[in-house]
Amino acid sequence: MLALVATFVFSCLLFLSKPCARDMRLFLASISQQLALSLLGFLAGYRLLGGVASRATATAVDAMPLMPSFKRKRPAAKLETTDTTGEPSVLDLPELAIDCILAKLPPAELRNMAAVSRSMRERCRSDHLWERHMSDKWGSVLGTAARDEWRSYLSSSTAAGGGASGCGSAGSGKHRRWVAALSCVCPVVSWMRPRADGGAGTSGGPVLDDSIMSWYLHLESSEFWFPAQVYNREHGHVGFMMSCYDAELSYDFRTDTFHARYPPHGRRTVVLEDGVQWDRVRAPPVGTLAHDLHASDCLHELRPGDNIEIQWRRNKEFPYGWWYGVVGHLESCDGNEHFCRCHLSDTVVLEFNQYTPGSRWRQSLVNRKDHREEGNESDGFYGGIRKLQDKDEISKWKQLWPTDILE
Amino acid sequence: MATREAGKKMIMLKSPDGMEFEVEEAVAMESQTIRKMIEDDCADTAILIPNINSKILSRVIEYCNKHVPTTGATGAAASDTVAPAALAEDLKIWDAEFIKVNRATRFDLIQAASYLNIKGLLDLTSQTTIDTISDNSLEEIRSFLSTKNDYLPEEEQTIRRENQWAFQ
Repeated sequence: MLALVATFVFSCLLFLSKPCARDMRLFLASISQQLALSLLGFLAGYRLLGGVASRATATAVDAMPLMPSFKRKRPAAKLETTDTTGEPSVLDLPELAIDCILAKLPPAELRNMAAVSRSMRERCRSDHLWERHMSDKWGSVLGTAARDEWRSYLSSSTAAGGGASGCGSAGSGKHRRWVAALSCVCPVVSWMRPRADGGAGTSGGPVLDDSIMSWYLHLESSEFWFPAQVYNREHGHVGFMMSCYDAELSYDFRTDTFHARYPPHGRRTVVLEDGVQWDRVRAPPVGTLAHDLHASDCLHELRPGDNIEIQWRRNKEFPYGWWYGVVGHLESCDGNEHFCRCHLSDTVVLEFNQYTPGSRWRQSLVNRKDHREEGNESDGFYGGIRKLQDKDEISKWKQLWPTDILE
Repeated sequence: MATREAGKKMIMLKSPDGMEFEVEEAVAMESQTIRKMIEDDCADTAILIPNINSKILSRVIEYCNKHVPTTGATGAAASDTVAPAALAEDLKIWDAEFIKVNRATRFDLIQAASYLNIKGLLDLTSQTTIDTISDNSLEEIRSFLSTKNDYLPEEEQTIRRENQWAFQ
């Protein structure tokens, strides 16, 4: 509503600033009318508006509110319109109609339109046109940490003098500092280094500014590595089956997959994986960093049958991964729901049924009251637990279930 | 209040060139702008549509007549014996025929659809433009938009570079 008011005030100012009675073009009025309709409709109801034009005619006609029109801001209009044919141009359409057209263009066409002319570029880079594309394509894999990484990528590139040069006149200042608004809870993962080379500035590639379009194009261009998590890492390596690990990802538009860079495990060097499919990538569901113990807030409510993820690491130098499991019954319980008291016990049984019965990985016990990290060098360390509430999250794990039972 | 005719509520729409169109309320309410007026009880016997001439307004009404939900309201398209799929197909053909107009008329229709807030009509009328943009090269789009390339040569180069990668 505030934005609406602001825009309306702005349009009124524009209107007042020029003698427009003569050259008022009714069909350009749509935006101000729409705004006025909703604004005044909201404030006072339409009746206040009615009759501006029609009462004098003494008929029973109720006029649609005839609001002041304003010339569209097209500073270069004279320059850019070669009005030789007399044919109307798309650019003469009301703002609303142009926006409606632009809003329906897929990303590639929208970017193409941005290359048409300066004024088009400004229009096509606007955040509201890209928000939907952004969330449609990238929403599932970008979390707070990725936003942070983009911000630091932006600032380091700008500081290095590489970034938004050339034709980025689209007024990055004008863009809402929305990335800042989404400011994050968690700092950038420690093993990630903002790339000092700045990437885009020198070697071509998209303009770097804080617009959503810029971020979209950088994601698309493989220039930008962002933190996310990968299920069943290293192509479903048996040692990582049914787990989800932090990684740095970059998109490869040629194959529509991702490159993944896993942080080192102790002395083990960084592991690279190519061809990571979309369905194996997720935005980190919690802000806990890979080396931090997650504070479990669900221990008291865990009951047999609950789906959980638990942090696990081989030794204390390694980063944690999230492992899928279910809450099972105590040995003393036969699983009969009428007699089961497992949820009252201090001990919670966690089952990892992807492992064969008898495997040392199949089961783990945690203390409901004071569970923190537990384990030893041979079995690894079990850390924080999160209970899965979201159906999609649970069914995702079920889709990833291995075809063979693990030892 | 609005007159009643054969049990249907009628609304009078007036164009600025003095033409009057009597339409069923349901048809007029295909326009969200008019719907809002009616719902807020701001419309009495007639509504003046200030921006749209009679030629375009009549076409818009024609469209709304065809697209109003067919439950007994319009007659022609509504028939219990016609399956919904066939109806949709019929509408598609009708739309395709409806939009065979010159560019000036099409743009007038876009403006009208945008002003009156008729989503279906706006989608239909702007689709041709979207198709043109999607199917053509940068130069062709410029000529279609009657727009000149006003980039400086070095800017042009940057944009060319920017457009080289991705989406291929």
